[in-house]
Amino acid sequence: MATPEVLAEQQSLKGINADYEERFGFHDAENYLYKAPKGINREIVEKISEFKQEPQWMRDFRLKALDHFFAHPMPRWGSPMLAEVDFDNIHYFVRASERAERSWDDVPDDVKKTFDRLGIPEAERRFLSGVGAQYESEVVYHQVHKDLEDQGVIFLDMDSALRDHEELVKEYFATIIPANDNKLAALNSAVWSGGSFVYVPPGVHVEMPLQAYFRINTENMGQFERTIIIADEGSYVHYVEGCTAPTYSSDSLHSAVVELIAKPGARIRYTTVQNWSQNVFNLVTKRAVAETDATVEWVDCNLGSKLTMKYPSVYLMGERAHGEILSIAFAGKGQHQDAGGKIVHAAPNTTSNIFAKSISKDGGRGSYRGLLEVARGAHGAKSKVVCDALLLDEHSRSDTYPTIRIGEDDVDVGHEATVSKIGEEQVFYLQTHGINEEEASKLIVNGFIEPITKELPMEYAVEMNRLIELQMEGSIG
Amino acid sequence: MPETITVCPVSDLPPGAMRLVEWDDVEIGVFNCGGDYYAIEDRCSHDDGPLAEGELDEADCTVECPRHGARFDLRTGKPLTLPAYTPVDTFPVVVADDVIKLEVD
Repeated sequence: MATPEVLAEQQSLKGINADYEERFGFHDAENYLYKAPKGINREIVEKISEFKQEPQWMRDFRLKALDHFFAHPMPRWGSPMLAEVDFDNIHYFVRASERAERSWDDVPDDVKKTFDRLGIPEAERRFLSGVGAQYESEVVYHQVHKDLEDQGVIFLDMDSALRDHEELVKEYFATIIPANDNKLAALNSAVWSGGSFVYVPPGVHVEMPLQAYFRINTENMGQFERTIIIADEGSYVHYVEGCTAPTYSSDSLHSAVVELIAKPGARIRYTTVQNWSQNVFNLVTKRAVAETDATVEWVDCNLGSKLTMKYPSVYLMGERAHGEILSIAFAGKGQHQDAGGKIVHAAPNTTSNIFAKSISKDGGRGSYRGLLEVARGAHGAKSKVVCDALLLDEHSRSDTYPTIRIGEDDVDVGHEATVSKIGEEQVFYLQTHGINEEEASKLIVNGFIEPITKELPMEYAVEMNRLIELQMEGSIG
Repeated sequence: MPETITVCPVSDLPPGAMRLVEWDDVEIGVFNCGGDYYAIEDRCSHDDGPLAEGELDEADCTVECPRHGARFDLRTGKPLTLPAYTPVDTFPVVVADDVIKLEVD
């Protein structure tokens, strides 16, 4: 029998995502209404559209997007791991329940248990304005506070929004990210399912966050949610998303498309805590438009997945618009986090910040990839880009790929980048104050990411710090 | 005084069709949108994509860049979707004696 010391050592040797298996890596039995065979073709796309009883224009949009997907080559930049994505070994549509329920009691038992275990209904009771819970391809639960509905706030899963608010969806759908934008956006456009549709009327402030939670259950799953958030003039909304999946030996694919529109004077904050299991390719396109005096903030935390390629962007289209991208990436063993952000200053007196932090450990690779563009005529634009990388050992890797394009003279643009290692002196200093080596490393890492975690809602900041601490287990030795 | 260049006889550009003409190193796409003629520079403002090779939507009078999907209003040259955000040049089209001509300067 193992002694407590041996058990402790085994625990610390587990390293990255030490308790992922136990907390998130479980999976349910499959009692599905429909599970598409593996592979992507015209028939599958038509079937998805038929299942959802969509209008003809959406069916046409999907089929055209499929042609774009086939026509686009796989990106030749980003990560060598991209070559491992096997589009033929993915289930593109899995239906677990008949509709998005408004009561947890109506959600199929197994699925409800999963979300209970992930703490979603509890979080909803405690501090959220509304929740959407997606399981495989579709949203199984969706609810929003009645007072928000009374104020005209629409928070629906995208499938329901297309049914109930077709004209509104049609007006904005794929205007920020066209189907042909890139190969993965084309794929999402062809097979999209689920995701959220949010509309906040002029002047309405949604005080507590809306949350979406995405869960993959089956092996070789492809999840392709589609989200649009429109904040009308002077309104405010904070949308938070989280995700997890079981651990399998073969890969799944998550490829979302998210479009945000902040009308004049509006503010949208979009927070992601990405914690997919390490067999998920996470290839996501996220883009926002900020009109006059509007603000868009992306808070993007990437902990999980095998490979993430994600660069949330903000197009500052109106005067004095502001964009903010806060990005944390944690790359452990076998992981590549290729994250960052893009800001385009397309109007005068616009301002922006990009703060990116990456931590690499156990041979993981963290990359910052960013674009800052100031268009001709966007005079008075101000921007600051800071990207910092922390390497926890000699096997890990950090890369920075910043691109800056300036087409205007009257601008104020700054770029700073640092790469550092946890210094023996720092650890030694803390040890002299009675803190052990492992605790000292955790403290240093927490200090490193604190400027970003402090921007998370408290509940998420606590969870984030806990996750980071878990990632840090066994980092000494 | 703008220069005028000849595109083609009206009969060679039926509704839904496009002709590419070159003037001074600038390529210009001339479109027939349901009987009305429009001309825009054949270069997407996002990534220099060949707009004239894109899909023409006669009902909306738009063309979609084949490279990344930005859609432009042929009447104004303005982009209606990202990733393009600046307009492309447009050129006045005149028809005289059943011949389509462009005014360039």
